[in-house]
Amino acid sequence: MEFAELIKTPRVDNVVLHRPFYPAVEGTLCLTGHHLILSSRQDNTEELWLLHSNIDSIEKRFVGSLGTIIIKCKDLRIIQLDIPGMEECLNIASSIEALSTLDSITLMYPFFYRPMFEVVEDGWHMFLPEKEFELFSSVTNEWRLSYVNKDFTVCPSYPPIVTVPNCIDDEALKKVATFRHGGRFPVLSYYHKKNGMVMIRSSQPLTGTNGRRCKEDEKLINATLRAGKRGYIIDTRSLNVAQQARAKGGGFEQEAHYPQWRRIHKSIDREGASVLIHGTEGTDSTLQVTSLAQIILEPKCRTIRGFEALVEREWLQAGHPFQQRCAQSAYSNSKQKWEAPVFFLFLDCVWQILRQFPCSFEFNEHFLILLFEHSYASQFGTFLGNNESERCKLKLQQKTMSLWSWVNQPSELSKFINPLFEANSLVIWPSVAPQSLQLWEGVFLRWNRSSKYLDEAYEEMINIIEYNKELQAKVNTLRRQLAELETEDGMQESP
Amino acid sequence: KFRDAAAMDSGAPGANRGGGLGTFGAGRRPPRPVGALAVGSRQPSVETLDSPTGSHVEWCKQLIAATISSQISGSVPSENISRDYRVFRRPEIRRALRDGNKLAQMEEAPLFPGESIKAIGKYSTYCISSPYLGTDSHKVKWYVADDPHFILDVPLGVISRVEKIGVQSHGDNSCGIEIVCKDMRNLRLAYKQEEQSKLGIFENLNRYAFPLSNGQTLFAFNYKEKFPSNGWKVYDPVSEYKRQGLPNESWKISKINSSYELCDTYPAIIVVPTSVKDDDLTKVAAFRAKGRVPVLSWIHPESQATITRCSQPLVGPNDKRCKEDEKYLQTIMDANAQSHKLIIFDARQNSVADTNKAKGGGYESESAYPNAELIFLEIHNIHVMRESLRKLKEIVYPSIDETKWLSNVDATHWLEYIRMLLAGAVRIADKIESGKTSVVIHCSDGWDRTAQLTSLAMLMLDSHYRTIQGFEALVEKEWTSFGHRFALRVGHGDDNHADADRSPIFLQFIDCVWQMTKQFPSAFEFNELFLITILDHLYSCLFGTFLCNCEQQRLKEGVNTKTISLWSYINSQLDEFSNPFYVNYENHVLYPVASLNHLELWVNYYVRWNPRMRPQMPIHQNLKELLAIRSELQKRVEDLQREAATRSISSSSDRGSSPSHSVTPVHTSV
Repeated sequence: MEFAELIKTPRVDNVVLHRPFYPAVEGTLCLTGHHLILSSRQDNTEELWLLHSNIDSIEKRFVGSLGTIIIKCKDLRIIQLDIPGMEECLNIASSIEALSTLDSITLMYPFFYRPMFEVVEDGWHMFLPEKEFELFSSVTNEWRLSYVNKDFTVCPSYPPIVTVPNCIDDEALKKVATFRHGGRFPVLSYYHKKNGMVMIRSSQPLTGTNGRRCKEDEKLINATLRAGKRGYIIDTRSLNVAQQARAKGGGFEQEAHYPQWRRIHKSIDREGASVLIHGTEGTDSTLQVTSLAQIILEPKCRTIRGFEALVEREWLQAGHPFQQRCAQSAYSNSKQKWEAPVFFLFLDCVWQILRQFPCSFEFNEHFLILLFEHSYASQFGTFLGNNESERCKLKLQQKTMSLWSWVNQPSELSKFINPLFEANSLVIWPSVAPQSLQLWEGVFLRWNRSSKYLDEAYEEMINIIEYNKELQAKVNTLRRQLAELETEDGMQESP
Repeated sequence: KFRDAAAMDSGAPGANRGGGLGTFGAGRRPPRPVGALAVGSRQPSVETLDSPTGSHVEWCKQLIAATISSQISGSVPSENISRDYRVFRRPEIRRALRDGNKLAQMEEAPLFPGESIKAIGKYSTYCISSPYLGTDSHKVKWYVADDPHFILDVPLGVISRVEKIGVQSHGDNSCGIEIVCKDMRNLRLAYKQEEQSKLGIFENLNRYAFPLSNGQTLFAFNYKEKFPSNGWKVYDPVSEYKRQGLPNESWKISKINSSYELCDTYPAIIVVPTSVKDDDLTKVAAFRAKGRVPVLSWIHPESQATITRCSQPLVGPNDKRCKEDEKYLQTIMDANAQSHKLIIFDARQNSVADTNKAKGGGYESESAYPNAELIFLEIHNIHVMRESLRKLKEIVYPSIDETKWLSNVDATHWLEYIRMLLAGAVRIADKIESGKTSVVIHCSDGWDRTAQLTSLAMLMLDSHYRTIQGFEALVEKEWTSFGHRFALRVGHGDDNHADADRSPIFLQFIDCVWQMTKQFPSAFEFNELFLITILDHLYSCLFGTFLCNCEQQRLKEGVNTKTISLWSYINSQLDEFSNPFYVNYENHVLYPVASLNHLELWVNYYVRWNPRMRPQMPIHQNLKELLAIRSELQKRVEDLQREAATRSISSSSDRGSSPSHSVTPVHTSV
């Protein structure tokens, strides 16, 4: 298919763009295969450069021959284009509609995007499971990497390499996979080095109404606990929903068959116990819980690199179906049942914690907003596909650029650094009381407020910090000079 | 240095004992007995939060036999105790409580100069075992024997009412007291019946919490702390008007009210049009409610557009007119050459203004004031605001309904009323700045909504009021001197808690200011603590700043000579109250977005007593440290530079024989 077929009118003059907080701009509207561009032709500046994939819904209306298109974006922005000429307006609208809902992933922009920057570090190879495993394999031999899923046959939504108990062999894993929804057998999500406790995740067991059992599954789960230790199975569903799931072949673990474990359907306190977390499929709420827990527990996850690794490990490789979940967003008229802002909700939670612990994160709010934007529409391939298997088939690593390659350039990175950050090795327990939670204005009111004064305050904070650094440097130089003078004096005195 | 330490100190959700006020959790309190004395519907009668841990219930049930030492009066030596100016930080008390005879040491607890202990009791509350309760002439304090960090400090002035309540759960012969506070919290304690008779805590509380109802004076008149700064000098009307460029050819500073005869609730010094004769002014006063004639609050430095304030005209049902009043408003309009219009903002609802008209009040008609445009801002009266705050207190203390939080906040309408005030002030500021048109603002009496609107509009228009000293002057000017009835609205020292004259008008104003600081984080010289401190001392009666109802009364009571100003305390430690972000938007007019999605509940104020409120290190604390580091580094740079300079001078003079020195003569010989 050629994009040209979809673009009936590639260019219209005298289009007026309306946006909140900006004066209306008149210019030329151009449609390309992936972008909607409005240029006022003054100083060659583009007033608007919008990815079609960012467009969630469009509405059109007419007053005489003047058409108006209202575009609602997945990043929650709403813009209005006044287009003279009914035919032009209709053509533009139908083109946008077609181009913003392309079926084929390989037609998406990341496959066409040519980076204008030099890749210093390839983001596709930054977060390899082997490397992540090395981070804790020196302190324990209870875990091993398994390649049982290397061709994605045991579990299509798992990565080729997973971490499992050392004493469980690949044959057993294959059996356990048949007992778990979508083949998602329990794997290690997080190893807490402080006390050796672990967080493992899976999908629901397929107990069904008959209470089916699986010896290997029981063995695997018990193998994650040290002798005499208790574990908690956190079912993210309500008990009711979990019970109903049995009728459809799903279910939950019977405590009788997992003697060291207690099953609960709500959150728990800190207790120093290992946990197994699953919902139904283990690709949504499960990942929210495991990744948020790591933000709270693990200082590393609160750094930029660490957070990128967390997104890579607990979301992308763990098989969160980004393609499905982020296909549409809040404004879309055609709601599909697989569409849901799961990752967005996770980012909101991180923001809430960031707000409560403003000095404990290396990154700032803009970093979270960046991830929110790119999960919905991006020039990078990172969030394409639903799992590693799909990404492999799409050859994303060869054909597209990784978001991390771009973000981790020093010039980009500097925008996302929290100036207040001071490494905090402690566990940060956020308050979940309702009055402690707030609307994430940076996202929800982003297009609906002028951020001038807030930005200026932020800059002032950076100024203070930068100036302090300068002063510190000056102090150090002066000290050195003094020391030199002193030694000179000493040398003069000594002869 | 900037770690989020405080937030992490407090435990995990549901941990056995939360930090600080966490022990006051509703969840830790046994259910109220059905037969309890009626104390209103403020407390949920059933537990709404997680059930307490078993050991905690036992702990709560403990009723410690009380020992008493009542009516210890007489001053306790305090002059010899060194103290920084942090009024509420008393580490020495905690130290004193750690060992030995605690009660004896309580008596030695450092007090404010002028403060004395009236009663000390050993109590058990619903939730704290064996706290020491002390009532002194200014505060009620709880010290928990086994937790030296737990000190609950309640200024008596904050108490709205004290009631006996039933506490059968503690045993038959137990009784309890509920202390309802003006600052969004209620406190409860329980004790043995027989102790009550000996101790008289209930009577003592009632006696000392409401001194005016008991023929005594407010504590501010006994408080003798010394501060390096004198807050009574922050506002001088003549210099403030001079700063505004007054007097000028159109406006004069008049002494007509110097003995408060023209208007007894106005200040002695007012600014009125130059051409208006005193006789006419008297006639205008007769036509305005309470004699509150239109006077200048603020003048635009360029356009000369003015904000004038007054009370409603006494039009009455027969549409009475007053030639002098009409001429007066025309003169105000004429004083501004930029516009041929005058806008009158009536803060009230149109319908209410009509009702007032039937009762002798009213508003300016178009026929009598042809060049004036009348706009109703539709703001509700003091009773509506009081009810709204009552609802707000209900939903934030002691427990919060997690599932209905946002809809509950919405149902109080508190933020809606905040929005209306801000929106009204934005309209006023915009008329002045963009329309270059003078405005007249009034409600009924011109001391509640009018003060809110003029001071908010001035805060938007004039960056001076966004400094600490400027804000203090603004409060002194638009609120205190122009007769906002603080004593009546707060009910200082008065036991009539149901008085219909009480209303959180000033609190609303401070809330609006806080909303503005949220939207313009760099535009205000003060921080959140400054605003909270003002509100705390609005009720505390420790300082004279918010006492009395008008200037005349303050003069009569000798407030400025016999009490200390809150600004003395604040200005003696400006670091505590300064906003590190402050960059002074001089000459910027700041219009806040007065829309509900940009307003938020001021959680740090309204919800701060909630047991679930996690005490967190506020960001301004971090930034303050940054500033401290900055000045320290600056000093060090200077020191080092000086040292380096002296050294290099001395060493270069020593260096006469050094080889490098020989270069110089070569140069000079060229």
